[in-house]
Amino acid sequence: MTLCLDDITVTLGRGAYRTTALRSLSAVFQEGLLTALVGPSGSGKSTLLAVAGALLRPDEGQILLGGTDLAALSDRERARARRTRIGYMFQSGNLLTGLTTEEQLLAAASVAGHRPRAVRDRARDLLAEVGLAHRLRHRPDQLSGGERQRVALARALLVRPELLLVDEPTAAVDRTRADDLTRLIARTTHEHGCVTLVATHDPVVVEAADRTIVMLDHMSASTV
Amino acid sequence: MFLALLELKAARGRFLLMGSVVVLVAALVGIVSGFTTGLGDDTVSALRRLPATHIAFAAGTDSDQFARGLIDRRSADGWRREKGVEATPLGVALTRGTTDRHVEVDLAAFGVVPGAFTDPGAEDGKPLDTAEPYGVVVSRQLASDGVRLGDTLTVDRIGIRLKVVGTTGRSSYGHVPAAYVTTDTWRRIRFTTPGTDARPGDLPLQYSAMALKLPADFGGKRLTDADHRHRTATVPLQDAFAAAPGYQGERLTMTSIQTFLFLIAPLVVGAFFAVWTVQRTPELALLRAMGASRRRLLGHTLAQAAAVVVAGTAVGAALASALGLFVGERVPFSLPATTLAATMAAVALVGLAGSAFTLRRVTTVDPMTMLGAAR
Repeated sequence: MTLCLDDITVTLGRGAYRTTALRSLSAVFQEGLLTALVGPSGSGKSTLLAVAGALLRPDEGQILLGGTDLAALSDRERARARRTRIGYMFQSGNLLTGLTTEEQLLAAASVAGHRPRAVRDRARDLLAEVGLAHRLRHRPDQLSGGERQRVALARALLVRPELLLVDEPTAAVDRTRADDLTRLIARTTHEHGCVTLVATHDPVVVEAADRTIVMLDHMSASTV
Repeated sequence: MFLALLELKAARGRFLLMGSVVVLVAALVGIVSGFTTGLGDDTVSALRRLPATHIAFAAGTDSDQFARGLIDRRSADGWRREKGVEATPLGVALTRGTTDRHVEVDLAAFGVVPGAFTDPGAEDGKPLDTAEPYGVVVSRQLASDGVRLGDTLTVDRIGIRLKVVGTTGRSSYGHVPAAYVTTDTWRRIRFTTPGTDARPGDLPLQYSAMALKLPADFGGKRLTDADHRHRTATVPLQDAFAAAPGYQGERLTMTSIQTFLFLIAPLVVGAFFAVWTVQRTPELALLRAMGASRRRLLGHTLAQAAAVVVAGTAVGAALASALGLFVGERVPFSLPATTLAATMAAVALVGLAGSAFTLRRVTTVDPMTMLGAAR
C-alpha cells in the first residue's frame, strides 16, 4: 500500500486573503515507513496532512491511497475513507471530554461503524500496546499529556489504518515522554505496516523517522 | 446512538440540569393546563352538560346574557312552535342558601322543566317533579359540601324553602355548584323581592334563555329569521359559555400563560443546546475529522435532545398529575389523560424545535480546525 501525491496544489482563503498553501507538490510514501515532514511554520506541513487525510480537497492533483484517488471522492466518500482507512493523531484536543480511555476507542469504533462490544478486546490490546492497560477507566483530565497522545495513537490504530497522520505529537509533552512517544510511533508504524506522516519541529522525531521531507515555500524542497 | 449515550453519561450533570429545567417547564405547563380545564369546568360545566345545540338569549344583550337578558313568554312560545325544533325554557340565577343543618352554600339555580331535555334527572334520590314544585336536585359538589338528600335548603333573604330530593353529577356555573329546580321555583328565586311572598302566578313569565335542539338544516337565514321573529339572539352552545361570568377573562388569562410557556420552552431548550454545541465544537470537529458524517452528528445531537426533552417532559407530566391527585377536589384542577398527553406532546415538540436552532452549527463544524491549518 502506498500513498502517492501527484502534483498537488492547494490554495486557502478568498479574495485578498487567498494564499497558496501547497504548490505542485508530488511525493510517494511507502507502507511501514515513518516520514517526518519538517519546515518552518506556515510552510504547508499541516496542509499536506489535511490533503493526505481527505480533510481538504486540493485545487489540482491526485491523492492516490492504494489506488483510490481521495481528491476525486465526494464529501461522503471522503468521510468514509477517514473513518475506515485513515488514522489521526492531532497535536491537541484529541480526546472526547468525559469519556474514559477505553470509551475513547469504543467511540471511534462506533464512528467507524463497528459494534463497540465487538472491538472491546482489540481496544484493550491496543491500549496495552501503548502502555495504558492500567488507565482504562481514566478520563482525559486524569491523564498526562503523553498519555493522552498514546490514547490518540491507540484510537487511530483501532480501525487498522492504511495511513496514519500525526501532527506535532511531541509539542505538548516533556522530553522524556516525547522520546517514548516517538519510539512508540515508529514501532507501531513498522509493526502495523501503515504509511505514517508526522508533521514536526522536533529533531528527535526526525532522527527516528525513516525518511524526512523538508517543506520550504509550500513545496517539498528536499528529501532526506 | 452509542456515542450519544456515552456523551449523555459523560456530561450527565449538565444534561440533568437541563432535564430539570424541562421537567419544571413541562410541570408548569401541565399545571396551568389543569387549572385552565378545571376553571373552565368550574365555570361552565353545568352549561356543557346541557344536551342542547343552541341557546337563544333575549335580543340586545351582548354579555353576561344569562343574568342580564330575559326571554318573555311570547319569545318562548314562538320557539316552542318552531317546526323541527325542541325548545325549553332555561333559568339561571346565582344565589345562596342554608340547610336546616346550618350548612351555608352558594348555588347556581338552574330552572328547568321537569322531564324536558334539560332536566338532569338524578343519580341518587328522585328527579324533579311538577307534583313537588319545591324539590331541588343538587350537584354532587353541593353534596360534598354537606347538603344531604332530605335536607331543607332555605334560599337566603327571600326565604323560599327547597327540599333536596336528588343529587346529580358534578356541574357548576360561575364557580358555584348547580342546583336544579323547576322553572316556577326558579322564577320565585329570580323575581321575588326580599320581604314579600309573591306566588308564581304574580311573577313575570320570563326566563334567562331558551335551550334549543336545532336540526342540522336550521341555520343561516332560517335561524336569523327565527331570531328576528322571536326577538332573540341564538348562539351555539359552545359560544354560550362566554355568557358565563368571568369565563372569557379566565380563558384569556390561562391561555396567555400557556402561550408564553410554549414560547419559553423552546427558547430555554434552544439556549442550552446552543451553549452545549458551542462548548463541544472542538469535539464535533474531532468527530468530523475521524469520519463521522454530518447526518450522524445530526442524529447524535437530536438523540440527545430527544432523550432530555422526552424524559424531562415525562417527569414533568408525572409531577403535574401528582399535583392533581394531591389537590383532589379542593381546587378547580382537572387534567384528563388526553389533555395531559396532548399538552405534553406539545411541550416535547416545542422543546425539540428549540434544539433544532443549533443543528446548523452542528453540521457546519469544520474538521480542519483540528489541524490548525493556518500554521
